[in-house]
Amino acid sequence: MSNQVGNYSLYIALLVSILLIFKSYKFKSNSSKNLDSKIFSLLSIQSLMILISFASLIYAFIISDFSNETVYNNSHTAKPLFYKISGTWGNHEGSLILWLLVLSIFLFIFFIKSNNQSNNYRVLTVLFQEIIIFGFLLFILFTSNPFKNLFPIPIEGTGLNPILQDPALAIHPPVLYLGYVGTSIIFSSSLAAIVCGIVNNNWAKHIKKWIIISWIFLTIGILLGSVWAYYELGWGGFWFWDPVENVSLMPWFCLTALLHTIIVLEKRNLFQSWTVILCITTFALSMSGTFLVRSGILNSVHTFANDPSRGIFILCFLFFLIFLSIIIFFIYQKNISKNLNKSFLISKETAILINNWFMMFFLSVVLIGTVYPIFLEVINGLKISIGPPFYQKLIVPFLIPFFLFMALAPKLKWIRDNVYRINIQQFIQLIISIIISYFLIIKFGISYVFAIPLFGLGFFLFFLTIKDFFSKDSSLSQKLSHFGFSLFIISILLNGVLAKEYSSNMKVGDEREYMNKTIKFENIKVVQESNYKSIVGEFKILDDRSNLSMKPEIRIYDQPRTLTSEADIISTIYSDNFLVFNILKDDGYYNVRYQHKPLMIWIWLSVILISFGGILSYFKRND
Amino acid sequence: MKKFKILIIAFVILFNLVTNLLADNSDQINKISKNLRCLICQGQSVYDSQSDFAISIKTLINKKINDGENENEIYEFLKSKYGGWIIYDPEINKNTFLLWLIPLILFVFGGLLIIRKVSIK
Repeated sequence: MSNQVGNYSLYIALLVSILLIFKSYKFKSNSSKNLDSKIFSLLSIQSLMILISFASLIYAFIISDFSNETVYNNSHTAKPLFYKISGTWGNHEGSLILWLLVLSIFLFIFFIKSNNQSNNYRVLTVLFQEIIIFGFLLFILFTSNPFKNLFPIPIEGTGLNPILQDPALAIHPPVLYLGYVGTSIIFSSSLAAIVCGIVNNNWAKHIKKWIIISWIFLTIGILLGSVWAYYELGWGGFWFWDPVENVSLMPWFCLTALLHTIIVLEKRNLFQSWTVILCITTFALSMSGTFLVRSGILNSVHTFANDPSRGIFILCFLFFLIFLSIIIFFIYQKNISKNLNKSFLISKETAILINNWFMMFFLSVVLIGTVYPIFLEVINGLKISIGPPFYQKLIVPFLIPFFLFMALAPKLKWIRDNVYRINIQQFIQLIISIIISYFLIIKFGISYVFAIPLFGLGFFLFFLTIKDFFSKDSSLSQKLSHFGFSLFIISILLNGVLAKEYSSNMKVGDEREYMNKTIKFENIKVVQESNYKSIVGEFKILDDRSNLSMKPEIRIYDQPRTLTSEADIISTIYSDNFLVFNILKDDGYYNVRYQHKPLMIWIWLSVILISFGGILSYFKRND
Repeated sequence: MKKFKILIIAFVILFNLVTNLLADNSDQINKISKNLRCLICQGQSVYDSQSDFAISIKTLINKKINDGENENEIYEFLKSKYGGWIIYDPEINKNTFLLWLIPLILFVFGGLLIIRKVSIK
């Protein structure tokens, strides 16, 4: 039953989409007032239909309706209700419905919220957004329909991949999608703005809210994924430069660049074309992210099962959208009122350009690192892997000048500033930071070539962002985000060089000495939970000051049969103790891995601070 | 002054070499295995994985270290056996120089664009 409801409402949404494209395309010639309410009602119908189809899919998951193929493939009756629900978007088909839902609801909100803008612009935004919605509807209905019937109806489902049965990962996709899909509004609206010739400070003020909101969701979405990887994959790392992670990072760089550029457009009416290019690129990156993940050409721990026809569809659709936006950009570029004023060398405008410069560089490193192996394999059949060392080698040295610019730039004034404002006091702070980093590096014996300037400028940025809280130069949201970022950098740097790890094969009763700590494997317990069996190890980590008891788990899931390791993590404000163990073939022996990770919690907290800056900025009345 | 710098650099390299040689095998194994892809896993490094393949590679690395081979020799050996796919850190050769160069070229290009946009006066 729910299959039919879901299916038909998707077809109705498709119909509405065609109608909307038609109506909004024709709108250019006649401009009757009541079209506004027509579009409004059509949009409401569309959102409602997609909502109904999403709800019916959730319903099918909740009641474990195995006549639905998606439910059969991804659910199981023994699963807790929470994961039955989150299973809805824990698979390819369901996640696309969620994506579509967000697309249509965002458009609906956009349409309501933009009633102070010109009708022409609003309707054009609807047109472009409906083209995207239409494409996704076709994609869902013809290559990945979540409402396929199964007959005869199976008695039991095959279950959800156990590593996805986790609270952080249950909310990670929706949050990330809100960010991804938010960029579609930015894309559509920038195309509409360029056609209408209103790429100016007014438009900037209006679209800025959408940029901020997408950026917040994208940031939090990436954070959730990272936290999940940290405790669930049992590796003890939080970022692996895995292709699927990179794919979420790329639009983030672009969006961060855009977040800064839009302020220049708002305040100074500069960089119009560049802003539009960024808007288009951000969305193209979000889309290609979907393509790369869904097509299965990436080798990653995160990819769902998939088939190539889907990849080809998204690829064609992506090319169509990029082609469309390039054509529109070049045809209507003359509409952009050219502001040929150059910015002065020492000014906020230039500083923001420099921010964009670095963001684009980081983006290009990640982009090329992610797609290069694919192209190389297609061209001459060579398979190469690009992993953390590549990214570290290219990105880390560039962080040094980046920190310097970031530390000094926010204090610059618009239009023109004076170089002498960079005063002796800051110079002294810089020297102190370098000295601190020098001693730190000597003390911990860090051998990285750029360590001294990297840590030095990291500290410099950190001190200056703290000092900024006492100045009246810029907004609180900016101070908070920049402070968050500097805290993030410091935590990552220190965490990177001070983290310690020890791994050994142990059996119950064994003791190992490591760095004045004793790791004791005391006992093992087997617990039967509703949908898995759990092997709980009881460990003690002793040193002269503390006595930690840690209980990592190995979970054996039945549907599908999978082993997962659940790390036990004890977090304090100074460091994390991370313990995980795995079954070995040799009888009674387990591979035990202990990690001591300083300042881990500050990495998460700093990202929350960064996004909190965004939230403040979103709720700021007018500025 | 320049000689002094070279001296320091030489010292640092030597120091690293010596400490690396003296270090416990397990640190060395961790370091190397983090740079290797577990070929039978989905996007995991040899270090992260507990698969049979990963365990046998780790044992192999341990043996090679005991035989006195250095990091690069081990990478070379694995590459000749399993192909470049196993190593996370791609070397620079005729197939990969663009990989390293494109971002740098883009960076220079971006810098030139900014110079054009900004009046130096």
